[in-house]
Amino acid sequence: MQFNSIIIRSLAAGFLILGLNSCSKTSEPEPSQPYDTGVFVINRGNFSDNNGSITLINPTTKITSFDIFQKENNRAISGGISDYAEVDGKGVILVDNSTPGKDLIEIVNARTFKTVATIPSTDLENPRYVVKAGTNKAYATCWDSFNADYSFKTGYIVVIDLTTNKITKKISVQRGAEKLAVIGNDVYVGSVGGETSISIINTSTDVVSQTVEVGKNPKVIGLDANGKLWIYAGGEFVKFNVLTKAVESRTKITTANTSKSPGSFSFSKDKSSIMYIYSYYDAADGYKQKGETYSFGINDAVISTTKPLISKLFTGLSVDPLTGNIYAGFTPSYKQAGYVFRYQSNGTLIDSLKAEIAPEGFLFK
Amino acid sequence: MSSGAAYFIRYKITLLCLGVLLSMYSYAQEIPNKQIDEVKVVGFSTEHFMVGLKVQKIDSTTLARFQFQTLADFLQFQSPIALKSYGSGQLTSISFRGTSATHTAVLWNGVNINSPMAGETDFSTVPVLGFDQLSIQYGSAASCVGSGAVGGSILLSSVPQWKQKGVNLTVGGQYGSFDNYNGQTGIRFVKINKKGLQFSGKTLFYGSQYNNHFNETQRTASDGRTYAIQPSETAQKGFIQDLYLKEKNGNLLSLNIWLTDNKLTIQPDVLSFREITQSQAYRFLSGYQFRNSTVKMGFTRDIIDYGTGDFSSPSHSETDRYLVRAEHEFSIKKSDSFWNTSLRMGGEIAYYVARVDGYGGVAITESRQDIFALLRQQFTQKLTVSFNLRQAFSNQYTAPFTPSLGVEYSVISTVKNQIKFSGNIAKSYRLPTLNERYWKVLGNPNIRPESGLNKELGINWKQIVSSTINTSLGINVYHNLIDDWTYWNPDKGYRVENLQQVLTKGVEVSGSVKYLKDKKIAGLSATYAYTNSTQQKMYDVYAVDIIGKQLIYIPLHTLTGTAYIGKGDWSLNVQGFYNSERFITFDHSGRPFPPYFLINSTLSGRISIGKIQSNLLFQVNNLTDTVYPSVRKNAMPGRSFSVGLVFSSEIFQ
Repeated sequence: MQFNSIIIRSLAAGFLILGLNSCSKTSEPEPSQPYDTGVFVINRGNFSDNNGSITLINPTTKITSFDIFQKENNRAISGGISDYAEVDGKGVILVDNSTPGKDLIEIVNARTFKTVATIPSTDLENPRYVVKAGTNKAYATCWDSFNADYSFKTGYIVVIDLTTNKITKKISVQRGAEKLAVIGNDVYVGSVGGETSISIINTSTDVVSQTVEVGKNPKVIGLDANGKLWIYAGGEFVKFNVLTKAVESRTKITTANTSKSPGSFSFSKDKSSIMYIYSYYDAADGYKQKGETYSFGINDAVISTTKPLISKLFTGLSVDPLTGNIYAGFTPSYKQAGYVFRYQSNGTLIDSLKAEIAPEGFLFK
Repeated sequence: MSSGAAYFIRYKITLLCLGVLLSMYSYAQEIPNKQIDEVKVVGFSTEHFMVGLKVQKIDSTTLARFQFQTLADFLQFQSPIALKSYGSGQLTSISFRGTSATHTAVLWNGVNINSPMAGETDFSTVPVLGFDQLSIQYGSAASCVGSGAVGGSILLSSVPQWKQKGVNLTVGGQYGSFDNYNGQTGIRFVKINKKGLQFSGKTLFYGSQYNNHFNETQRTASDGRTYAIQPSETAQKGFIQDLYLKEKNGNLLSLNIWLTDNKLTIQPDVLSFREITQSQAYRFLSGYQFRNSTVKMGFTRDIIDYGTGDFSSPSHSETDRYLVRAEHEFSIKKSDSFWNTSLRMGGEIAYYVARVDGYGGVAITESRQDIFALLRQQFTQKLTVSFNLRQAFSNQYTAPFTPSLGVEYSVISTVKNQIKFSGNIAKSYRLPTLNERYWKVLGNPNIRPESGLNKELGINWKQIVSSTINTSLGINVYHNLIDDWTYWNPDKGYRVENLQQVLTKGVEVSGSVKYLKDKKIAGLSATYAYTNSTQQKMYDVYAVDIIGKQLIYIPLHTLTGTAYIGKGDWSLNVQGFYNSERFITFDHSGRPFPPYFLINSTLSGRISIGKIQSNLLFQVNNLTDTVYPSVRKNAMPGRSFSVGLVFSSEIFQ
């Protein structure tokens, strides 16, 4: 593996020099690139098929480009895709292969989608979510491999330096580290491994500054219009004060069906309401997953489920920050292409567009 | 069970009995008029009743040439079967004529050895040297062999070598690229005592270690497609014991034992990434043929342990199957004509005990019974017909009644030319696997057996062109509609349902030319197959994207071919295999696996020094170093070389 990593290092260095050269020449305005704007659909793929992909949708013309990584690089993503984020002109793709020890991170030029570097599998295992955590810096949560009894090991965050395209540090966090939210100089880390705290990491030191007890399996949602951080933890929506680092309030969903659980949280454009998918497995109908999409206001005293926003179950939910339209990923099966349903913010259907296998995430630019 | 179903079964039993009675009656009618001889049945071959079906027999020379391969590697080049491999030395399942892995019955000495849990065989765990005879049977033969023979059957048999003398010892080994090894040692013997009692047997130990040291982490095809290499190791060992005791009057007592142990390790070098699957099979079969009756008793145990890391707490699955089968064959021949009747009737009881972690830890038992009546009637030199009936029973579900009718008609039958038409129409069925019925949450105790209707027509032309050249050409077309096709439905969290209806239809064209003069031999054989396999039924709104589209991993076009040339004890054999693109999604979205072409070659020879015979095998697999993917989209192995040497010698008279 030593030999191999030398090759990758020298390749990476080569790309860096090329990159610097191209930077020094940019005196005139750059011509527009194919991936400057659009909606990027993150298709997880079917786990054992290792066929994750990214679809680009032009929201106005509805022209769709499938598997844009393959299209630009003449090679496929070698696994499912768990997340994609843009950091200062570079795209960071987290690749999850079904074979342990084969996961990696692909770094592309965000405007051309041409490959820039690959962070090899030796540096990470089971990557989950990625965010921009400073200039030319990204954080990606990883579960690591599982114990022999399938329990989670201590999770970690890899700190990626996007000038060198290397991992500079691993920060140990909770078991089953999941979604993160960046607020100022702090990154809040949620988890699914059974722990009850969130970790707060200072992005200037890359050190966990604090862990705060919020409830079991905290899912970090994000910052609302009032500057409060929302977390779903211990079966409750938790409103968290980022200044005092303390829980402000906890609200349960009032529901007739206690077997339902919420997921795929997303803020509305004005960050005054949170929408989520509320689903369960119906034992009376062959354990078919059933559910709807609901929404509540951040100042609501009661989170009720009397009327769904959209009477449909999705595998992913996101809001276009420009138009406020809702993009919802629908997966008929993991062996056929999924669809992106688009709705107005009030839940009125606009249209549906074909994506690829298991559309779960969206990136708007 | 509803009274309707009970009535239905009773009706079918009556029909079966009636069929038997009628045929008996017809013999009785014939007896006074013509000279009839009741004939002793030699060899209880089920193929005898597969009139109108295509059965491809692989000769023992070919089997010997590929003795160090597994059936996974071997079958691919023999027939247009689609094999789905998860990687080198890893799970390889079969798709016969566009069906799924559970639709091929794999029989060992007449007993189905498909895993009762999964209903299929992992062909990467079956070595070619595990048996003496191999037949590939195309199309539905459920009435002859039972559940699962929907797309076809693979028939593996041990055969006593009565003509051999004394005791013969064999020791052999093979070493190949990627640090892969094979080894075997065994004896075969025949002993005849003064009273005419013949005793024959075979004992064989074999083992292999595939280290798969590919020395690369990925492979890139000429079209730029790059596939990662998945580090893996496979260790395989086995033991075979066949014993036969034949009385002077031909009555035969037999015992067959086959024990296998297969351990696959993915990511062997990194403990925390390691994934281990250990599968073991214990197979015991005893039989006694007394005049024209046979009784068989069998026991098989299939064990699978799957675990990660240090393999300290694997999930364990263990399934036992007890089997008793009794058959009687009436065989009547008229000495003054081609009139020849064989009627075989019998029944079997199989009892399963499953202790599977995935079933919730409690032992599950299930009993299944079968009765059958198989009739083969040769009327004239030209015309032979078979009419077979089978009914399976279970107290848990109603199995379809499966009759079949086959016809073979020789249009021309001269010394130089033989042209034969064949046709077969057959109902088929597949009983639910134990996983389908009992798997915690995902299984469905109410799952129904699948049922199919297969129709096929064939023409076969054999010609002796000259004293040195003969040729053959065969064309078969088929149409197989399979209903209640089970589907682990992703829409319901992968719970199993009788959701789909699949239509497979296709054409197979095979031809051969063979040149034989003195000690020189050369030839060419090839088979092309067009396989169209599609889902027919609308079961949810998104099935619109799927209906009528070729099923996943099944190539529309396949071509296999073999060219060989030999002189005396030496021969060179080149095999080719092509398949067209394979879709990996039901709706054909995304990029399919590209078409690929593989060539393997084998040089084999024999040198005799004194009493010792040395067989030399030199093989180059994937000669063109083609890059192609496994099911998991990892790279399959590139070009590899291997040298094998097998010594055999008579050690006692």
